[in-house]
Amino acid sequence: MNTFKALLEREYWEHRGAFLKTPLIIGIVIVVFLILGYLTTERFDQVLTNGQSIELSGKALESFNADDVSNVIDVFMLATASLYQFVLFVVLFFFLLGSLYDDRKDGSILFWKSLPVSDTQTVLSKLVTATLVAPLLFTFGLIISHLAFFIVFSVIFLLNGANPFTVLWSNIEFINNWGAFVVGCLIQALWALPIYGWLLFASSYSKRRPFMLAVFVPLMVGLVWYWYNAIFNYNLLKIGVFKTLAFLLGKSTVPFTSGMDTNAENFGFDPTDHTGVELIQSMLRGLNQSDMYYGLVFATITIALAIYVRRFRNTT
Amino acid sequence: MSHILSAQNVNKKFGNFQALKNVNINIDKGKIVGLIGPNGAGKTTLLKSVLGLDSCDGELKVLGIDPFRKRADLMKEICFIADVAVLPKWIKVSQVLKFTEQTHPNFSIEQAKQFLSRTKIKMDHKVKELSKGMTAQLHLAIVMSINAKLLVLDEPTLGLDILFRKQFYDNLLNDYFDNERTIIITTHQVEEIEHILTDVVFIREGEIVLDANMDELTSSYFEVMVGQEHYEEALSHKPLTMRKVFGKHIMLFNSTSRDVIETLGEVQRPSVSDLFVALMQEEQA
Repeated sequence: MNTFKALLEREYWEHRGAFLKTPLIIGIVIVVFLILGYLTTERFDQVLTNGQSIELSGKALESFNADDVSNVIDVFMLATASLYQFVLFVVLFFFLLGSLYDDRKDGSILFWKSLPVSDTQTVLSKLVTATLVAPLLFTFGLIISHLAFFIVFSVIFLLNGANPFTVLWSNIEFINNWGAFVVGCLIQALWALPIYGWLLFASSYSKRRPFMLAVFVPLMVGLVWYWYNAIFNYNLLKIGVFKTLAFLLGKSTVPFTSGMDTNAENFGFDPTDHTGVELIQSMLRGLNQSDMYYGLVFATITIALAIYVRRFRNTT
Repeated sequence: MSHILSAQNVNKKFGNFQALKNVNINIDKGKIVGLIGPNGAGKTTLLKSVLGLDSCDGELKVLGIDPFRKRADLMKEICFIADVAVLPKWIKVSQVLKFTEQTHPNFSIEQAKQFLSRTKIKMDHKVKELSKGMTAQLHLAIVMSINAKLLVLDEPTLGLDILFRKQFYDNLLNDYFDNERTIIITTHQVEEIEHILTDVVFIREGEIVLDANMDELTSSYFEVMVGQEHYEEALSHKPLTMRKVFGKHIMLFNSTSRDVIETLGEVQRPSVSDLFVALMQEEQA
């Protein structure tokens, strides 16, 4: 168990930049845009109406309905959470693609393999990093970003004579929204597991360009399937493989919508219309689909193959 | 357990290419074995099988363990440096020591720190900030702090300058080696290690062509520096090789007719590299 902990710590050392700094940098960017936005509107306001409208709106904020304010904050928190989940998927995509390839490329695999750590442990440590450690670090980054955001807002309110505690802080549903993010990340990991498994396999197997293997092979399979049906069955609408890929990518990048069915009536499902609790319930309901089980089987096979190949592939 | 390493009829094929052909070899405790062969002879292939990095056919046991099936178990008892500067570039010295301590039951972090205190390497250095020689020093410090029964070194000093190479082998011999341990080394710079070897194994085209200890080797082969006056006579005894130095001919002989040939000139011990060249040529002829 000590070994596994050390392996996870190792991943953290190597990828701290991607897992910890990325969410914090996005947070800083959002806060900077907020401040810039505020400064420019104030400037326009000064020029156009001598600053009257901001003063008015500052006062007006306090008379807003608490439910409305709460809704706006929910939408903001869930929208940023959804953005973070999307970024998390992109970060993990490249992390996994390099996870069993980079050390073969620079030869350091010969050092890792000189230690009493089995290849199964190594591969599983990459998987646990992707499914648990990185989401936790992103959660931490999201919380810091949200707090920074609200603090900046509070200062702006104070400058405009509004009380940030009554207007803002008392209306924030921290537990619901952050809870939705955490649950969303875990459900994202479940939906993305076949993709993660495939990436681990590509990373473990590839001799030169894991990206080509990981991306182009599924696309080629999809194309072959499409043209096979078009030519031999005269069916131009069979896009089975592409549909599956799009389905998985959709659920993996925007887990908040993973609870919806793929039929037309739910097409306009907008996660920001819902509260955190409703989202969690919807996502959990979405797990009970046969696609989820096929995905888990596929993930198990690809991860096992990644471990198998890792045992004898030491160079690129 | 009688042998540290025992290989019986070990074969390895890559497609149609037979990289190892019926390799039979036993290595006992307390030896320093030089595994020597030309490029592509199968040295690395053999070592990879020994270290559990690749599979092979035949019976191969290291400390009684099947290396490929139980590499993680084996690595508790043996350690290796395969190639120079393979430590990960991004890692800090303190991190690599901590990681090794947590994953390796026989690693002493105090000892490693003590070795490092004699070098210019600092704990908060990253590997990518170290020179190639310092990276090799760090790797050696880690390996020497592991209480292992077998140490395998595959070209551990390739590309290092002469000062580092000398120091590397000095450290290895003075601070690490004792009769409870066993070392297997491959290198192209045979001259630098031949004085520390107890045994040599020559490998050529996947086959073991010589497996002898150094004493046997120097008693069964010898060099004679022959002057012009005895040249014809010496030649009639069919030397294995011959080279000309300062007007004298240095000839390498097999020991069969030593008594006669000794009278022809000054006898000296052949170097492993000369012997290696001679045996490789003999095989080809």
